[in-house]
Amino acid sequence: MRRVGIGLLVALVLGAAVIAATARSQADAGTSAAKAETITIWVGWSARELKEFKKIVAEYDKKHSDVNVKVVGGINDDKITASIRSGNVPDVVSSFTSANVGSYCKSGAWLDLKPFLQKDKIDVNMFPKTSQYYTQYKGKRCALPFLADVYGFYYNKKMFRAAGLKSPPKTMSQLTAYAKKLTKRNANGSIKVAGYNPFLGFYAGNAPDLSAYAPLYGAKYVDGSGKSTLSRDPAWSRLLKWQKSLVDWYGYKKLQKFNAGAADEFSASHAFEIGKLAMMIDGEWRVAFIGAEHPDLDYGTAPAPVDDAHPELYGAGYVNGTIIGIPKGVKHKDQAWQLLKYLTTDAHPLALFSNGIRNVPTTKASLNSPEIKPDAHFKTFLKIFANPKSKTTPITAAGNAYGTLIQAFAVKWQAGHAGDLTSGLKKLDKQIDAQLKQAQAGGVP
Amino acid sequence: MSSASLPLAAGSLVRRKPPWAVRRRRLLLAVANHSLLVVAALMFLSPFFFIVLTSLMTNSQALSSDLWPHPFRWHNFVDVFHQAPIWRWALNTMIYACLATLGVLVSSVPVAYALSRIRWRGRNAAFGLVLIALMLPPVVSVVPLYVMWAKLHLVGGLGPLIIPNWFGDAFSIFLLRQFFLTIPEEYLDAARVDGCGEFRILLTVVLRLAKPAIAAVALFSFLYTFNDFFLPLLYLRENPDHWVLQIGLSEFRSLHQVQWNLTMAATLLVMAPVIIVFFLAQRAFVEGVTLTGVKG
Amino acid sequence: MAPWLIGFSVFFGYPLVMSVYLSFTHYDLLSSPKWIGTANYRYLFTEDPQVGPAVKNTLWLIGIMVPLQVIFAFGVAMLLARAKQGVGFFRTIFYLPALAPPVAATMAFVYLLNPATGPLNIILGHLGIDGPLWFQSPQWSKPSLTMLSLWGVGNIMIIFLAAILDAPRQLYESAELDGAGPLQRLRWVTLPTISPVILFAVVISVIAALQYFTQAYVAANIAAGQASQAGDQTVNNLGYPESSTLFYPVLLYQHGFKFFNMGYASALSVLLLAVAFTITVLIIRNSRRWVHYAGAAR
Repeated sequence: MRRVGIGLLVALVLGAAVIAATARSQADAGTSAAKAETITIWVGWSARELKEFKKIVAEYDKKHSDVNVKVVGGINDDKITASIRSGNVPDVVSSFTSANVGSYCKSGAWLDLKPFLQKDKIDVNMFPKTSQYYTQYKGKRCALPFLADVYGFYYNKKMFRAAGLKSPPKTMSQLTAYAKKLTKRNANGSIKVAGYNPFLGFYAGNAPDLSAYAPLYGAKYVDGSGKSTLSRDPAWSRLLKWQKSLVDWYGYKKLQKFNAGAADEFSASHAFEIGKLAMMIDGEWRVAFIGAEHPDLDYGTAPAPVDDAHPELYGAGYVNGTIIGIPKGVKHKDQAWQLLKYLTTDAHPLALFSNGIRNVPTTKASLNSPEIKPDAHFKTFLKIFANPKSKTTPITAAGNAYGTLIQAFAVKWQAGHAGDLTSGLKKLDKQIDAQLKQAQAGGVP
Repeated sequence: MSSASLPLAAGSLVRRKPPWAVRRRRLLLAVANHSLLVVAALMFLSPFFFIVLTSLMTNSQALSSDLWPHPFRWHNFVDVFHQAPIWRWALNTMIYACLATLGVLVSSVPVAYALSRIRWRGRNAAFGLVLIALMLPPVVSVVPLYVMWAKLHLVGGLGPLIIPNWFGDAFSIFLLRQFFLTIPEEYLDAARVDGCGEFRILLTVVLRLAKPAIAAVALFSFLYTFNDFFLPLLYLRENPDHWVLQIGLSEFRSLHQVQWNLTMAATLLVMAPVIIVFFLAQRAFVEGVTLTGVKG
Repeated sequence: MAPWLIGFSVFFGYPLVMSVYLSFTHYDLLSSPKWIGTANYRYLFTEDPQVGPAVKNTLWLIGIMVPLQVIFAFGVAMLLARAKQGVGFFRTIFYLPALAPPVAATMAFVYLLNPATGPLNIILGHLGIDGPLWFQSPQWSKPSLTMLSLWGVGNIMIIFLAAILDAPRQLYESAELDGAGPLQRLRWVTLPTISPVILFAVVISVIAALQYFTQAYVAANIAAGQASQAGDQTVNNLGYPESSTLFYPVLLYQHGFKFFNMGYASALSVLLLAVAFTITVLIIRNSRRWVHYAGAAR
């Protein structure tokens, strides 16, 4: 009996070991198997955009016989953080949330790129100023820009004509007036076509951290000493009051129901694309989506309307971008850098990918590349990108954690659960300052 | 108790022939009772019903307020497979569920046997440990375990999900022990007289007699791992190659930008295996669940 | 025994000890743990603005969802026990939803309760009722989750059913002879005889409520993403809407596996451990008063 027992025990341990081994070899599959080294790159794109990205990578693959590039799409910051903390990382990572660069650089989760840049004598001035800003934290550069996003205004020309409107709105009060004119309701009062949907959380233009609206009001996040200024800069309360008044005009619950019945943002049934939404603020990528999914849509693009008190802001917009870097614990550092360098500094892939997904190219050379296919709509966004008043969100040690706090407040505000605006914003300022202090100290959460 | 005897026991409550008025009242009560049952049953079934209907709609219909598909779009069930690597997720799920279940059986049966039919010092203390392990929420141990697996560089694979099951599972041990206790001592003594070692007894006598309990444990373990979301979320989230069905399903809608029709088709596909297993092994299920309650 | 003992120490003992140790450190998995004394606990009890809502939400589950589950399961089991025909058939129907994988069931419910295109609100609309926002509303999100849990109550129901049918028949007959009506029989015969099973159901439901995660996580994600961006990067969906589904384990997940504050997450789990232990002991202690074990029953 004893012998059988020991045999079973041995079998057990063996079994566990085998499983562990296979799990491991699966996890590492490809890094060590083939002759050509496989390097993995993580990107946030999915579906059609992912296919476009794979085309760029395929070109690189063909030119470089020593590597095999494996692309994984649909990545978000949670997954990036998880992989770096657990030590099972890809070779190149990229994120849509440029605001997180602060935490990536500060914690060392993404490698400092300085030695690579120096070795290959790359001058970061080849990137536009804004893109340089959102790829570093306090001078430590742990990322490079890989195409940028800029937010502008889309409107349905056919609906404009039907309502007797000629040109896109230039101020927020105009936007409100147009929205009321263009909205159609069903017999039971529910919204059939929304003129403009200001609901925070509805599509990217209404990101609940207010990022896309802040530049339109010239709203400042921090003062000179780095303290949060949401309660002190009156632009924020003007923005929030405008947003809430339009939400209330529709009715909070009615808008919620409209949103719940709207299709997913990156599906072919996007509300603007199927004529359920007349105007919206959205990123430049929408041009490519409409081109691929609804080429017949009669629409126009323009800079987004701005604060009535500051008409001079017209032409500006929110800018951010895809950041790309090398994670701590990378296995093929040099091959990763080669790929990263190619993607971010070579005008050819940048132009090609920009044509594919209509994102803004992020080197001065690629912006003027003859390979870029001209497009009237896309040109609107290139202009907004070049506008000196266009802004991105601040880069802090806490990543975009302040955005999470703003989101929590703004979502309560639009539901009417936030109480008094001034005291609410004061409290919010305190929370943001406290959070930043903790992130800088690296203490308790 | 066997499931087959349930309706009988209920029916035989009434034996003597009561007076007419009482019988009429009973009949009315029974009718009321049954209509309530039917209503409840319809409520329980309606979610399935609407899921099936939606899974057969077209894209634009899924966005409308129609309830009935027009036309029926059976092709959705083909499209789902093109949209997402469902076979891959299914394969990962099967690897996880089968290896984990096997591990639970191989490791828990001997422990349960030792805890119930062999006398040794510290047996009660050991059983106490099982009970404590059973009571405490596993969520509390998840942080240090994650740290441990991260140090071993196993995060991102199925290892952290499967390996712990090969070291015994408190619930299964408990269930099996309770069942083993019901096996008459004479069988074991007879085997002992024949000169069998404890292990032979376990393999030849106990396993044969405890088949229903073992089947129940296997079923529960399989079901638990098949449905498991929390651990795969922690350990596999960033590695789509190893995603199991539950993770894939939870990311299906956002990742593939599809409408509710395809999402519901995928949901049905994920529900289907469990429901099929249930109909194949209904008796073992019900007996197993009953076992947990009555003996607990 | 040996493998189990190894397993027990590695997968149970070690984590307990480690949890306690880590809860006194700052640990982000990038650099080694840094001893910070009781700072985590101080932050937990005095500063963290999310702990309050998380505890309240979890208490809601224990105080409202669990009793509803138990009562509902008991009601269905009683109906089944009194049925004369088709018990097996009905039992299958009531049990089936309990099998549905939680992720799938939750996705299905978020769809069924979609405020605009979901069948429930459409049917309510036909009846002239303006249906609520369900998973999109902080008032209705927990009731929505409760409906989901009632749908999947089959396990408890089966256990109850078996216990009810197990009750000695002569008890009912003698009660009937004494002229006891159905309600009295329920109060004096059924409930006492199955009280150990009710205790069991309450204990496992409370323990499950303390760990309630999957449904909350999936529902918040899917509901928040209904019209918004694919896997939106900038939005924190945990607890959506307005932290109304931020249960304690969700908070633990957020700190441990989204922000990777392993030290703070350990402090949260140590607290959960203490609470779970206390609650279990309390329930079992108190139960002596109302649970009748076979033999003690009169």
